[in-house]
Amino acid sequence: MHRIKHALLFLLVGALAFLAVLSPGNAELAIAQTDAASSSTDVRMTQNSATANSVTPNEVNEVAKELWCPLCNGVRLDACELKACEQMRDMIAEQLAEGWDKEQIKNYFIEQYGPQVLGAPPLEGFNWLAWILPFVALAGGGVFLWRTVRRMVTSRPQEAAIAMDGASPSVADEYSRRLEEELKRYG
Amino acid sequence: MIFDIGHLILLTAMALAAFGIVTGYLGGRWRNTRLIQSSFNVVYVVAALVFAATVILWYGLLTDAFQLSYVWNHSERALSPFYKFSALWGGQAGSLLFWCMILSAYGAVVAYVNRDRHRALMPYVNATLLTTSLFFLVLLVFAADPFKRVGFVPPDGQGLNPLLQNFWMILHPVMLYLGYVGMAVPFAFAVAALLSKRLDNEWVRTVRRWTLIPWMFLSAGILMGSQWAYMELGWGGYWAWDPVENASFLPWLTGTAFLHSIIIQEQRGILKVWNIVLIWLTYFLVILGTFTTRSGIIESVHSFARSDVGPYFLVYLVLILLGFLWLLFDRLPLLRGEHSIDSFTSREAAFLANNWLFAGIAFATLWGTFFPMFSELLTGQRISVAAPFFNQVNGPLFLLLLLLMGVAPLLGWRHTSLSAFRKQFTFPILAGVAVGLLVFLFARSFYPIIGLAICAFVVATIVQEYVRGVIARRATTGENALAAVAGLWRRNGRRYGGYIVHLGIVMIGVAVIGNEFYQQSLSVTLARGESAQIGRYELVYDGMISERKSNRIEYHALLNAYNLDSGRRVGVITPQRNIYDKTPDMPTSEVGLHVTPFEDVYVVLNGWESGGASATFTIYINPLTLWMWIGGVVLVLGTLIAAWPHPTQRRSEVVRSLAYATGDD
Repeated sequence: MHRIKHALLFLLVGALAFLAVLSPGNAELAIAQTDAASSSTDVRMTQNSATANSVTPNEVNEVAKELWCPLCNGVRLDACELKACEQMRDMIAEQLAEGWDKEQIKNYFIEQYGPQVLGAPPLEGFNWLAWILPFVALAGGGVFLWRTVRRMVTSRPQEAAIAMDGASPSVADEYSRRLEEELKRYG
Repeated sequence: MIFDIGHLILLTAMALAAFGIVTGYLGGRWRNTRLIQSSFNVVYVVAALVFAATVILWYGLLTDAFQLSYVWNHSERALSPFYKFSALWGGQAGSLLFWCMILSAYGAVVAYVNRDRHRALMPYVNATLLTTSLFFLVLLVFAADPFKRVGFVPPDGQGLNPLLQNFWMILHPVMLYLGYVGMAVPFAFAVAALLSKRLDNEWVRTVRRWTLIPWMFLSAGILMGSQWAYMELGWGGYWAWDPVENASFLPWLTGTAFLHSIIIQEQRGILKVWNIVLIWLTYFLVILGTFTTRSGIIESVHSFARSDVGPYFLVYLVLILLGFLWLLFDRLPLLRGEHSIDSFTSREAAFLANNWLFAGIAFATLWGTFFPMFSELLTGQRISVAAPFFNQVNGPLFLLLLLLMGVAPLLGWRHTSLSAFRKQFTFPILAGVAVGLLVFLFARSFYPIIGLAICAFVVATIVQEYVRGVIARRATTGENALAAVAGLWRRNGRRYGGYIVHLGIVMIGVAVIGNEFYQQSLSVTLARGESAQIGRYELVYDGMISERKSNRIEYHALLNAYNLDSGRRVGVITPQRNIYDKTPDMPTSEVGLHVTPFEDVYVVLNGWESGGASATFTIYINPLTLWMWIGGVVLVLGTLIAAWPHPTQRRSEVVRSLAYATGDD
């Protein structure tokens, strides 16, 4: 028990020291950062240029629906009102007029703007972690719960005996020892 | 002058809060009545002071005191008084002040209500709530001063963000904050229980209502935010899984899990550690959510350093994480369960599964929200994690949760016998299968069939429970069916109110399924007199009108809507664009709606040419969306039934355990 407390104290000091170092470091980064999302929209939006080639805005949006604005957070391309996104939609219209299919257009935008336009991490490299970790955690929790409940169910006859001297220190110690052991194993 | 006083008030409140923490803690430890009384007094005075500071800022906003940087940045002369008032939560410093005001008000109410109760816990509750207040007061004094001066008196302000000038934006933040901040109260009781070593069920019983009410506000706030996004953002949806939304949803998930798992602790005396961890997690996520929305750390790691409040939040988060873990490990030997779980087919086990899913969804959401930050830090690659990710990961988990919502209440405590199983499940399963088949005939895709079948199953379980309850009551009292339902609510509001909440959740689920899987959309440019057809509706464009308002020009497009099935005109749909004088490059959209119980016709005005000779629209058919808002109202009503204090519910311990033994409650 004392070891855990000391470890936490140590962590606290470490974290605070880390923060102290981090704050001035980040200030420099901030200056280098430019405001990407400040470009804005015009009301008199018209889907003009490429629609002449008999590509309807509907067909454009069919593709744009599966892409995401690379500048905003969580805004779909077919609904985004940034100038840049309007140009992206015009680009889709041109590509459709040239006979590209949906996959080709999507791949083009991924090349141009990076995986950000997908709205979800692509299944490659480090990004696998985004998809897998939730299920690993869920499965881990599930197995832990299952085993705990099964142990409880099978050890039921002894329950009464334990409950009788539940307040005695030896049981409490035994419990905390087991918990520490489990924490080591699962944490 | 008055604004200097405002600053001084905050400074005083900060010092007092620090003092109150000490008196509360020491008073609780030494059981010193005078110290304890002093902690109560501090709670009241801090609440009064913070309220006074808020009133002063309101005064500044309403009297156009542009010498204040906050007023200058978030208001203007032409703004209607309504929005001047709500500009309090339109920017950083103001919303932090608002946060702090609600927190200290909660603190005062909790202290007042419990002034003669929970003698051992209350001093620590006061100290814990004051600690949170202190943190926000430190922010207000050192990092985000709402009374900061510009240095001169500008002739006019820069205006409130046009997106926030919407009716729902007045109500939504208030509700959200009431819910969000209120979660600090059950957390304070948990900390008090740990500090005072009174780890029996006293704190759990006390916080149930103190969790239900904030939970209700939080749920309503989240739904109002969805309503706002639906009406204002114009992309046909109501929930985008963006970091700000997730920040409000995360504590809701853990808070909901907590509301369920404390029932097991009350009934069976187990899960004591887990409950404390859950409520701490909820509190932690509340602070984390405020941190992420206030510092912009998710959008970009770099904007974090630009924010004044970010580092403070990070320090506080680390402190509550480590401080809490230390306290928990120290008290672990006192948190032993009194019973164990007897069977997999018991209600306890189902509740465990519920907690497992809630925790899993919360983890996936948290992980997805922060993943872009990890990705940027570790690989330098910027990634967006939006709806496709969350829908695919959380969607199946939500379905499981929905199923469990029907199953769990049908299982008995400790163990369910096979005959009880058959008796409980036959009708709901039949109902679910019937609806599943019906959906299969109309639309053969997997998720909606499963989803709607589960919804029907859950509704059937709720109906079955009510019918049985009513029959039982009528057998004993002979009252009519309506009076019997009222009697159920009065005698066992926890259980039967809970079912109403579940019903509300099912309605929201139905709306989500309808929207997610059966939405239709169409983009068209129409000249005056031309028409477009979508689903069973035809819309005829009838030109545009513009209207000058105090701080903006509104442009309305008029569309006559006809129902092709009945051949009748159903009304005029008027999507609208507002161009604000102060921010002409940020026009906002108000969608035009025709709402029916079956579907919404939802029209966005994208743009127009030659004064409205032709205009471009995006038209959506959003099936069943109305049920989301109805479900929200039902959910709130259900929570009120469950939280309503009834004299009959103050049953003695004996009756309580009797109720447990007979499977009642």
